[in-house]
Amino acid sequence: MRILRSVREALARVRGLFGGDRPEADDDLREEMQAHLEMATNENIRRGMHPDAARRTALLASGGMTVAAEAVRAQRGLPWVESVLADIKYAFRTLRHSPAFTAVVVVTLALGIGANTAIFSVVRGVLLKPLPHRDGDRLVYLRHSIDGPGGASIAFSVPEVRDFRDGAKSLAGIAEFSSWSATLQSDDGASRLGVGLVTGNYFEVMGLTPVLGRLTRPSDDGPGVSPVVVLTHDYWMKRFAGDPAIVGKQLKLDGKSVTVIGVVQPAPFFPGRVNALLNMVNSEHHLSAMMVQGRSHRMTEIVARLAPGATLEQARTEIAAVSSRVQKEFSESYDPGSHHRIAVIPFHDVLGERAKMTLWLLMGAAAFVMIISAANVVNLTLMRGVRREHELVVRAALGAGVARLRRLLLVENLILTFIGGVFGVVIAIGGVRLLMSLAERYSPRANEIRLDGVVLGFALALSVALAMLLSFLATLPKEGSFASWISAGARRISGSLRKQRLQRSLVVAQIAVSVVLLAGAGLLTRTMIQLSNVSTGLKTEEVLTMEITLLTPAQLLAGRDAEAKERYDRMKRDVAALPGVIDVGLGSIMPLRSSSVRFEVKAEGKSVPVGEPMPRAEIRTVDPDYFRAAGISLVKGRPFAATDERGAGKVVIINQTFASKFFPNEDPVGKRIAWTGDVLRFTPFSGEWRTIVGVSANTQDGGLDAKPQLAVFMPFAQEVAISGGLVIRADSNVAGLTTAATRIVRRVAPAALIENVMTVSQIKDLSVAPRRLNAQLISLFSSLAVIIAAVGIAGVLAFSVSTRTNEIGIRMSLGAGRGQVQRMILREGSVLLVTGLVLGVVGAFFGARFIQGMLFDVAPRDPITLIGVAVMMAAIGLVACWIPALRAARIDPAITMRSA
Amino acid sequence: MAEKQDVKQGTLALMILKTLEVLGPLHGYGVARRIEETSKNRLSLNYGTLYPALLKLEQEGFISAEWKQSENNRRAKFYSLTPAGRKQLAREAREWHQTADLIAAFLAPRTEAP
Repeated sequence: MRILRSVREALARVRGLFGGDRPEADDDLREEMQAHLEMATNENIRRGMHPDAARRTALLASGGMTVAAEAVRAQRGLPWVESVLADIKYAFRTLRHSPAFTAVVVVTLALGIGANTAIFSVVRGVLLKPLPHRDGDRLVYLRHSIDGPGGASIAFSVPEVRDFRDGAKSLAGIAEFSSWSATLQSDDGASRLGVGLVTGNYFEVMGLTPVLGRLTRPSDDGPGVSPVVVLTHDYWMKRFAGDPAIVGKQLKLDGKSVTVIGVVQPAPFFPGRVNALLNMVNSEHHLSAMMVQGRSHRMTEIVARLAPGATLEQARTEIAAVSSRVQKEFSESYDPGSHHRIAVIPFHDVLGERAKMTLWLLMGAAAFVMIISAANVVNLTLMRGVRREHELVVRAALGAGVARLRRLLLVENLILTFIGGVFGVVIAIGGVRLLMSLAERYSPRANEIRLDGVVLGFALALSVALAMLLSFLATLPKEGSFASWISAGARRISGSLRKQRLQRSLVVAQIAVSVVLLAGAGLLTRTMIQLSNVSTGLKTEEVLTMEITLLTPAQLLAGRDAEAKERYDRMKRDVAALPGVIDVGLGSIMPLRSSSVRFEVKAEGKSVPVGEPMPRAEIRTVDPDYFRAAGISLVKGRPFAATDERGAGKVVIINQTFASKFFPNEDPVGKRIAWTGDVLRFTPFSGEWRTIVGVSANTQDGGLDAKPQLAVFMPFAQEVAISGGLVIRADSNVAGLTTAATRIVRRVAPAALIENVMTVSQIKDLSVAPRRLNAQLISLFSSLAVIIAAVGIAGVLAFSVSTRTNEIGIRMSLGAGRGQVQRMILREGSVLLVTGLVLGVVGAFFGARFIQGMLFDVAPRDPITLIGVAVMMAAIGLVACWIPALRAARIDPAITMRSA
Repeated sequence: MAEKQDVKQGTLALMILKTLEVLGPLHGYGVARRIEETSKNRLSLNYGTLYPALLKLEQEGFISAEWKQSENNRRAKFYSLTPAGRKQLAREAREWHQTADLIAAFLAPRTEAP
């Protein structure tokens, strides 16, 4: 009933607002009130009053016809809508009248809101969004780690997976995922597919559903089933343009025909992005005895679902118990010095773990930019507010209440922040594209980044919050006190001192925050400089590398290795004949690239102290020309020779790290080493003793920022060519050889997969690309901050000068020189500047630990950086102070005194 | 001159409805006169209070208005109670009595032992 009544009233009011009969209604009202007045007058006359007095008394009792008409009108329509519309119109007009103010505020806000919206959309997509999997918060990832390099995540073997299936009741389902890569042959050539080999229960455990066809199920497990493939949503869209008829088609993967059974919903995969998911039968290896029974043959990642009611803690306890029991039982597979351990991590967290630090750092930097730009806008509006006080007093005199004035300010600020917000979103759209490439390097969830409703809501919330802040910071006098201001003939109502104190604190804060940001940018830039000074270990950059896959591992092991080697040799000969080519080498792994193939290694007559992990070294096979072509110098011994062929004595070359680890004070040449460990039985590499013939210089294979690891080179001819590539050195412009070299490879092996055709300078570049982007973003943010802060300090001083014009005029007429006035203003600015600098340096000092993990060869409290940053900020700040100081010195006392 | 009170919006609506129930269709002047007389001139009702209240009641559908000739042959707008207004009056009167009783009981000198 009550609702109905309000609805009826509201409808009537809306009719009143838009109805065209308003003049008519006004006439009606006037006539009605006129009648009332007449009746009252007549009544008064009837009671014996003189007609004049009767009318006057009636009029007095009416309380004023105009006021009444206004009150009725307010009841008739929706007065607040009408006045808000009027406010909006008015606000637009005033903003148009101060284009400089509007432009500065809009640009400042757009930068702040844009930076924050862009970074927030990435943070949300990569870190915050709940997983698309059904009950994604119940998924856990198991990580198996050991001590030593490369031991952070060594995966599980199938027997280990079985242990957990049998022993961990707190896990409802355990899915296996094995990263693999397959070559897809199609009409337009070969391409590499990142795939995951998964068990039939994988999708059920993960809680994923198909968008097309079906997903694998337990009946797809084991030998003797037909090989099937499930495409990821991204790959299906990109490669097959979302073809709905894809289900049932055959793909040629690693030379075999595989049936596409479905497309899975968009979802992140771990440990990396994949294009497709295959059942295990696709890889003979994964069904082989060595895989299924080899306890140390670890190629499987585990994702599991917590059983209903089970907690993460229970799962951790249980897994730890199972693991320690198994380690005792099968001690030959668990080197005690390596400290095997298993972490149970929520799947959501493991997906974001690499991106977390970078993203929160960027979010922090963006928030700082927001603080600075908000401070600037607050300052600008405060100054403008003072100039507008006269206008506000007049409006108050004409009957506007405080609430009304406050609303006018709010409308105006909302318009400003909205325009800023819209431009900010435009900036964010561009920024997100840039950030995507950063996020892709850190997170498998990068494709979930988008500017959706939530992100736009974030931008909107920022805008509204800012508008509120701006409107309520402006001081308006208390209701009812206007009259005294007006009667006092006041043109100004501000408590100027209090407001100026606020402005000054804001400027100090701006400078301090800018210094912190600058320090971050400085540290990251210095990191980049340090990195660029790191020697790669290669003598030249005029080297082109190309990775060429001829056969699948299974084909190679099946005896086609010699055929592959013969083809590699042919490519090498033909490329060497190209004009400009100096040397061509062959190798399994290209220089400056790290190898994932690492085995435990021992040296004759040396034993590893108890409690230390078994040392593990990278395996690299190279031909006699490899070192010369790559420009890697041999510090001792000889390179491989043509005589180190199949059947000849096994020889190796070790790198310097290896030499200093095993042979710290002796000459390693002539000593013998061997591969060792349980896992060796599953590989084509034998554990026999091999004689060291040379020691090579270290190269930065793990990236410029990584410590060189142990590496062992074996002759290309003596081992199976599990992978291969050409190292081409030219006298100049080696990149120009790309086309010719690729053509030769194509001619020799038309179906070969050619990948990563890059010069070593490109490889080097690539290894620091994420760091560089990071440094660039932080530098961009800090330069924004500095510019905005400089505008801030200049603005506040200029304002201070304009309020002190009279004072300055008096000082000058009393004999103060221009230089003195200028110094006075500069001093005023310097106080702010120095306070901000001190606070900023202190902040940078204590904030340094947040950035520590991103630095290379630079101390987080690097004094040179901190001093440099402070000097730079001081210089920019002084320039910003100079402008208003000059203006102050140019004040003409005669003019200011007269106008006062 | 006795101190006159401004009338509160909610109570004014109730007074207007009651007046129209007792006196039948009536113009604004009549309503104002009646309310002032009933309150023994303790209430003063200026146009700015009366007419918005009348309009609000009209918008809510509790009263309706039409132009008619008044006693002294002048055109005036006459307000009359609608069925919905009659119900509303009954309900509000009841609520007022209850509230009044409650408050009276509260303010009555307490007789029971502490």
